Amino acid sequence: MSTVIVVGEVDGNEIKNISQQVAAVASGMGNVVGIVIGNNVSEAAMKLATSKIIIADDERLEHYDPVKFTSVVSQIVKQVSASKVLIGATNMGKDLGPRLAAELEWGYLGDCLEAGNDGFVRPNFAGKILAKSNPNGPVVASIRNNAYPAGESWSGSVENFAGNIPESNLNTSTIENVGAGTVELTEANIVVSGGRGLESSENYDSHIRPLAEAMGAAAGASRAIVDAGWVPHSHQVGQTGKTVTPDLYLAIGISGAIQHLGGMSGSKFIVAINKDAEAPIFKVADYGIVGDLFEIVPVLKSKL
Amino acid sequence: MNIVVLIKMVPDTESRLEIIDGKVNESGFKYMVNPYDEFAVEQAVQFKEAVGGKVIIVSLFSNNASIDTDLRKMMAIGADEAIVLRQEGYRGDRPSSNAKILAQTIKELDADLVIGGVQGIDYYQGATGPMIAHMLGIPHVSGVTNLALNGDKITAKRQIEGGLQVIDSTMPVLITCQKDMNKVRFPALKDIMMSKRKSFENREVPLGEGNDIETIDCSLPPARGGGVIIEGETTEEKVDKLIEKLKTEAKVL
Ligand SMILES: Cc1cc2nc3c(=O)[nH]c(=O)nc-3n(C[C@H](O)[C@H](O)[C@H](O)COP(=O)(O)OP(=O)(O)OC[C@H]3O[C@@H](n4cnc5c(N)ncnc54)[C@H](O)[C@@H]3O)c2cc1C
Ligand SMILES: Nc1ncnc2c1ncn2[C@@H]1O[C@H](COP(=O)(O)O)[C@@H](O)[C@H]1O
Repeated sequence: MSTVIVVGEVDGNEIKNISQQVAAVASGMGNVVGIVIGNNVSEAAMKLATSKIIIADDERLEHYDPVKFTSVVSQIVKQVSASKVLIGATNMGKDLGPRLAAELEWGYLGDCLEAGNDGFVRPNFAGKILAKSNPNGPVVASIRNNAYPAGESWSGSVENFAGNIPESNLNTSTIENVGAGTVELTEANIVVSGGRGLESSENYDSHIRPLAEAMGAAAGASRAIVDAGWVPHSHQVGQTGKTVTPDLYLAIGISGAIQHLGGMSGSKFIVAINKDAEAPIFKVADYGIVGDLFEIVPVLKSKL
Repeated sequence: MNIVVLIKMVPDTESRLEIIDGKVNESGFKYMVNPYDEFAVEQAVQFKEAVGGKVIIVSLFSNNASIDTDLRKMMAIGADEAIVLRQEGYRGDRPSSNAKILAQTIKELDADLVIGGVQGIDYYQGATGPMIAHMLGIPHVSGVTNLALNGDKITAKRQIEGGLQVIDSTMPVLITCQKDMNKVRFPALKDIMMSKRKSFENREVPLGEGNDIETIDCSLPPARGGGVIIEGETTEEKVDKLIEKLKTEAKVL
C-alpha cells in the first residue's frame, strides 16, 4: 500500500479542521503519516487524525517559512517513502505545495475539490470548469476546505522529526492580527456577503458585519465595493478574489456577475436578497427574497 | 536594482466556456494580462523610480501576437523591456514545465527581485512563482499585500488566516502579489507613445519537460437550478419562511 503524507496545521491548541478533513481523505488512499511543523505544537499535533504522526517542534519553525518547511517535509517523504503529500488549501498549503512539488520533482494539483485513488478534481476558470486528472506518478495536492467531513483524532504512534532544519534568508518579524476575532472567509461554514446595493461602507458595517457575527459567519464582498474602498480586498469573493465553498452563502445586494459567481457557486446553499427580480444571482440561488435589503436584513438578524 | 516581472496571459474573464470531447474549446479565447500581474508591474516600476535600475517583463506564451499590445501597455506603465518566450503548443496548466523554462531565462537576467501574481485566474494553481523560486534556489513570499524596500532588504506583508505575516528577506527573492498591494497607474499618452520604442524581444522556445499532471477530462459543474423565490405578504413572513427552509431543507442553521 502506498504511503500518503498529510501536513497538518495547528491553530492555538487545536489541529485546524481543514487538516482533519485532509486526514480523512488521505485515510482512503493508503497508509497515512501525519506531519505537524511549528513551535510548541506537540500537544495539538497529537490530535491529527492519522495513525502515525511525525512532529517537527522547534523554535526555528515558529513561523511558516517555505524554505524550511519544504526541506522538513521532503526529508520525511524520503524517510517514509511516501508517494503522495496532501495539504489543506490554506495560505500555507497553497504556498508550500508547489515549492515542495518542485523540490521532489512531483506533480502538483492545487485547491482540489475531490481527491482519491481514482483521481483528483480541481476547479479551472474560477470553478466554471471542473478538471479531472488521474496521476500515475507521485503528487502533491492541496485540498479545498469543506470538500470532506473532518476525521476524528485517535491515538496513533508519535515520533519527533530528527532531520535537519536549513537556514533561510526569510525572517518573520511579526504577525499583524488584522482580522482578529472574525471568521476566515475560506474556512467559514457560512458566508454573508454584501454588494453595491448597500450604498455605503457604513451600511456594510451596520448590516453585513452584525448579521455575519450573529450567524458565526465570515463577511464577504463583491468586487464593486472592494474597488470603492468600503472593505479590503481580503473580503472579495470571486474570480479575482477568494473562492468559497461554505454550507451557506448569503448574497445581499449583489447582482451576481459571472466573475462573482465563479467564486461562490460551489457553495452548498445559496440565498440571495435583491430588489431586482431579474438579477442573475437568482439563477444560482436556492432561496431568494426579492425586496429591499434595508428592510429584510434587520428582520433576519432579529430572528436568528 | 534589476527586477524581472512575470506576466501570464490568461483568457478574458468573459470568455465563453464550451466543452468539446472533454476539453475546453479555447479557439475563441481572447487573452488579457493576468490581473494580479499588473500589481507586480506597478510595484516594480515604483521601486525602479525610487532606487533606479531596470524592469524586464518575461512572459511565456504561444505564437499568438494579439497579446503584444497588452504587454506594450505594461511597458507604458514603466517596464523597460519585454522578453516573450514563444512556444508552440503553450498551455497555462503546466506550471512545472513552464516554471523550468521561465527559470532558465530569468537566471541569465541577474535579477535582485522576481515579482509576479499570486495566481493565474485561468487555472488557479498559484504554483509557478514558488516553483521558479525553488529552481533558482532563492526564497519566495506569496500572496503579498504590501512590499517595502529597506536598503538591500525587502519587507513583505503576506496575507494569512486572520492577519498578515510580516517577513524580511535578503535579495534575490521572488514575490507574488495579492490585490491590495498598490493602485496600478493609467499610463499617459506620451508613455504609450514611448513604449513603442522599447525593446520587445520574441524568443522561440521548445516545449519543456516537467512533472505536470495532464487533465484527462473537463466538465461543467452541475448546473444550479434557479431555486425558489420566497413569497409572502410581509417582510417578516418571507424571513420566517426563509429561516424555516434553512433549518429543515438545507439544515444549515
Ligand atoms: C477582470 C474582472 C474580474 C472581476 N472579478 C470579480 C470578483 O472577483 N468578484 C466580484 O464580485 N466581481 C468581480 N468583477 C466585477 C463584476 O463584473 C461586477 O462588476 C461586480 O461583481 C458587481 O458587484 P455588485 O453585485 O456588488 O454590484 P452591482 O452589479 O451594481 O449590483 C448591485 C445589486 O444590488 C441590488 N440592490 C440595489 N439596492 C438594493 C436594495 N436596497 N436592496 C436589495 N438589493 C439592492 C441591485 O438590484 C443590484 O443587483 C470582475 C470584473 C472583471 C472585468
Ligand atoms: N506563462 C507564464 N509566463 C510568465 N509568467 C507566468 C506564466 N505562468 C505563470 N506565471 C506567473 O506566475 C503567477 C502564478 O501563475 P499560476 O501558477 O499559473 O497560477 C502568474 O501570476 C505569473 O506572474
